[in-house]
Amino acid sequence: MIALRRATVALIVGLGIMLSGPVFAQTGTPILAPSTNDIHEFTRLLADERVQEWLRQQADEAETTAIAETPGVRDQLDALVLRTQNRIAALVRTWEGLGQAPELVQGRWREQVTDDRRVQSLTFVLIFLFLGAGLEWLFRQYSDPIRRRLEITEFKTPAKRMTAAVTRAGLALAGLLAFAVGSIGAFSAFDWPPILFVLILNLLMAIVVIRVVGTTLLLFFAPFVPRLRLVPVSTGMARLISRTALGFTAVLVVAVAFRDVFAQVIEVFKPQGGENALLAVSVMLAVVVSLAALLCLHAGFFLATRITPEAGSKAARKWRGFLSLLIILSLAFWILDLRLIMWSVLCIGLLIVSLKLLRAWVDHAFDTAIADYMAKLPPPPVIEASEDVTDDTEAEEIVEVIDPYETYRPLAQRLVRFAAIITVGLILALIWNLGIFESAENPTVMQRVFSVLLDSAAALLIADLLWTWARTAIDRRLNAYRPPTDGSAPGPEARMATLLPLLRVVLMVTLLLMVAMSILSSVGVNIAPILAGASVLGIAIGFGAQSLVKDVVSGIFFLIDDAFRVGEYVEIDQLRGTVEKISIRSLQIRHHRGAVHTLPFGELKSMTNYSRDWVIMKLEFRVPFDTDMKLVKKLIKQVGAQLKAHPEYGDSILETLKSQGVRRMEEFNMVIGVKFMTRPGEQWLVRRDAYQGVRDIFDANGIRMAERNVKVEIAGEDALTDEQRKAVSAAAHDATANKLPPGPVPDEP
Amino acid sequence: MTTSNTTMTPAIVLRAVRIWSGLFLLAFVTSHLTNLSFGLISINAMDAARPYLSGIWTGQITGTLLLLSLVSHFFLGLWAIYVRPTLRTNIQDIVQLLTGALVVPLLATHAVGISMAANAGLNLGYADAIRLFWLGAPTIGLLQVVMLSVVWVHGCAGLFTWLRSKENAGRALYWLYLLAVLVPVVALLGYAEAGREMLVAGQNGADIAQNPAMPENVVVPFAQIRQITNAVITGSVILTILTLVARLVRLTLQKTQEVVLVRDGGPRMVSTSAISMLDGFRRNDQLHASLCAGRGRCGTCAVRIVRSDFPMPSPSELELRTLNRVGAPSGARLACQLTPAGGQVEVLAIYPADYTFEDARPPDVPSGSEAPA
Repeated sequence: MIALRRATVALIVGLGIMLSGPVFAQTGTPILAPSTNDIHEFTRLLADERVQEWLRQQADEAETTAIAETPGVRDQLDALVLRTQNRIAALVRTWEGLGQAPELVQGRWREQVTDDRRVQSLTFVLIFLFLGAGLEWLFRQYSDPIRRRLEITEFKTPAKRMTAAVTRAGLALAGLLAFAVGSIGAFSAFDWPPILFVLILNLLMAIVVIRVVGTTLLLFFAPFVPRLRLVPVSTGMARLISRTALGFTAVLVVAVAFRDVFAQVIEVFKPQGGENALLAVSVMLAVVVSLAALLCLHAGFFLATRITPEAGSKAARKWRGFLSLLIILSLAFWILDLRLIMWSVLCIGLLIVSLKLLRAWVDHAFDTAIADYMAKLPPPPVIEASEDVTDDTEAEEIVEVIDPYETYRPLAQRLVRFAAIITVGLILALIWNLGIFESAENPTVMQRVFSVLLDSAAALLIADLLWTWARTAIDRRLNAYRPPTDGSAPGPEARMATLLPLLRVVLMVTLLLMVAMSILSSVGVNIAPILAGASVLGIAIGFGAQSLVKDVVSGIFFLIDDAFRVGEYVEIDQLRGTVEKISIRSLQIRHHRGAVHTLPFGELKSMTNYSRDWVIMKLEFRVPFDTDMKLVKKLIKQVGAQLKAHPEYGDSILETLKSQGVRRMEEFNMVIGVKFMTRPGEQWLVRRDAYQGVRDIFDANGIRMAERNVKVEIAGEDALTDEQRKAVSAAAHDATANKLPPGPVPDEP
Repeated sequence: MTTSNTTMTPAIVLRAVRIWSGLFLLAFVTSHLTNLSFGLISINAMDAARPYLSGIWTGQITGTLLLLSLVSHFFLGLWAIYVRPTLRTNIQDIVQLLTGALVVPLLATHAVGISMAANAGLNLGYADAIRLFWLGAPTIGLLQVVMLSVVWVHGCAGLFTWLRSKENAGRALYWLYLLAVLVPVVALLGYAEAGREMLVAGQNGADIAQNPAMPENVVVPFAQIRQITNAVITGSVILTILTLVARLVRLTLQKTQEVVLVRDGGPRMVSTSAISMLDGFRRNDQLHASLCAGRGRCGTCAVRIVRSDFPMPSPSELELRTLNRVGAPSGARLACQLTPAGGQVEVLAIYPADYTFEDARPPDVPSGSEAPA
């Protein structure tokens, strides 16, 4: 019974852990209770001091030996070989006495369970089944509207579809639960003789288990409602797969139940040669189950060729061969009673298959998700994309950029694979009863090897997961980056093109080191000295390469700050020029006269960027005091309009030339302020034309530019002699000649 | 199902007879099962309740009525098997058909035995029956459980198909579902408990487990009983087989054309002219509203013909009445009654596939009142 219950759990999980204990352990001669005399004798002996002393010694010795004796690999192997030999001997004995044993058991069975009893128990079973079925029917009647609605509605998103499928299976499962509670519950309310108990319970359990498997298949394959199918197969395939799987499950469950009943019968009646009979029956059932598996497999593949020609392909034949081999191997190992090896082979074999299937499944899930997403997009971009048939590559790029899930596809695949491998690893650990979850003081070799393997696998898989995610994200960004065409300014992604490859390399190295370290550590190598050595080396290198590290690190931060991009005009301390090249350590700028400056990032304290967003330029004109300001304003407006209309740089002007009125008064003239705003880099050309235009238009309208002149006013002009006049003009000349020309001349490219 | 002033076609009469005979039989079975439930208390309690729950059905008039109902229901069932265009309909119909075919052979032993013993003057109580079924002949006891399940399932299948096509069945259905499970389950548990009581009594050698002495003046014609039982069983089986053969012959002789159905502009569904449009949908796994499961009662399978290669057969009286009752728009037909002659037929479904009467009922109108069309 225990075996069956476990098998039930295992089947539900779908992985089949049956840690059934030794088959023959329960059999043996019955032990009678001790008589009163024996007990008196025993108490007398216990009271004896010598006996007490001897017992104490024995206990101490046992303790010491128990610590010393951990079974080595050799002992374990010996035990295994011995066990197999025993098994083969038992098989041979069974084979020789195959004829009589079942009859023997059958005879005892008849003796115990008469026809009447059998019929009566069958009557009871029918009543319980009716009870369970009635409850389930009732539940179905109440939940039917929900189910119907689920099956008919079209679900737009994968999440909703998933919920609907799970709800549907949940309803079926709840109905099944009602069935199980109704039938098994009513059954357990009565008292039963042991054999009937086992028989009926096994029967009911078998029915429930088969139906649970059926419901699980329903969840994944949904043979009649393609909309709710979670697995990417056609309707025909879904029906075929669920039918074959259900058929095999039925055979398996019935076989397990039958064997369990048989074992119980043998245990209760203890007939002569019962062990052999049990073995014979077990082997027979195992063969039947294996044959059924092979039959289901081959029939399934054969029928599948009618539905899809793919099933007849070479790859499919390969998988079929693989699975057949797996079944035969499992059978062989089971017959030789090497159950651990059998389960391991089975687990690993199924893992290989399921990895392949899971991959296809994840792919399909992403495909549907993307298809749903595309369908949900507003129609205009789709139409545009279809119109741009001439430029195929660009249309594809657009599709790639807007697809939101693509980054996660490899990640999801790794994750699923990771989960599958870890699950199988843990199951194997449980099968081999390694106790990896307990920290044994003296672990066996197997335990060590296994835990090392598990640790390494976990480290590798986690690192792989991280690496895949990072690499996909980085590659995606890099692929989306387009280098700027000549002349145009690069966008903000340009710095990412510099940073991301570096980040990728750093991440890879870090992950590799961490994985290597953790594997070493789990193998048992003490990694503390390695770490210490590495850190000493790191410090040494760090000192030596201090400025290099400084350059790289500050470069990263400059890049993150987006302080400059290739092609921008910058000023750093006294150096000016266009950024030509950004490497990981340094920056190269070209002066407008051709000189190239190389600046390590570490040297950069602050920098000025002249190429961001906009530039304001202010110009000044000096005009005499008698100038008509209204006219000036009008004229400058005219010039501004001309500049704005210029075909070459007109678009770059953000705010065109505008008079700001009189900015200040000077000794001999007044200063008119004029300003304009352009995009960076265009201001010089605009300024040139602005000067020219203003001068021309002033000239045409009779506005003179103020010139420096000296007006000498002398009271009583007749009194001056010629010499005096000369002296005055010389003094005036001196006065003007000593003045410096106003304003610094700005340096410009 | 009252006789109304409209014309009574044979189909409508047959339908009424089938329903009322079935309901009468189901009422008897329910009463009988309720009696059986008293087994949960004791065998004596069963016998105490017998005159009120089972006895009233075996009187002169009621007994005759029961027999009449049973026979007419059986033959009507055979007729349905013969006439039905396809037997591969929904699960409920298949269950109803199979259980219906099984009822009479299963019932024969029980009914013939009890009634003939009673005629001979032997008054069999529940104690005797339980003793026979659990101790004397367990195989017959097992068959009784099978029969009970089969009869009840058949009755419920018929009842609920009938009720679901009624608009004002509404919420009452949910209570009836509960009853439909409760009655047989309690009855079976009562039977099981009575059986246990009897088995324990048999082991202890109690009085109740001993066969009572036969009354002297009563002669039970056992041989005759056996003979009649066997005759009934063989007769019903042969009749069923003959019906199936006749049906097979009818279908073979019938000339069929391929029909292509297109519903709501959906995929092309290939069907034949032998089966109704509704069965054609089902054969192609396309859900279609049909609350009465294709009996032409509920009108939820109604479709509007958009285009057809050949003219449609004119609607029967049954179909017209249903269409009038549900207030279907002109040009609508019942998919369950309509068998296209061939070619391609394009239709529009009038009701959604998951339609129930609750959908049509506005929330403020209490259930049970007339639903608007």
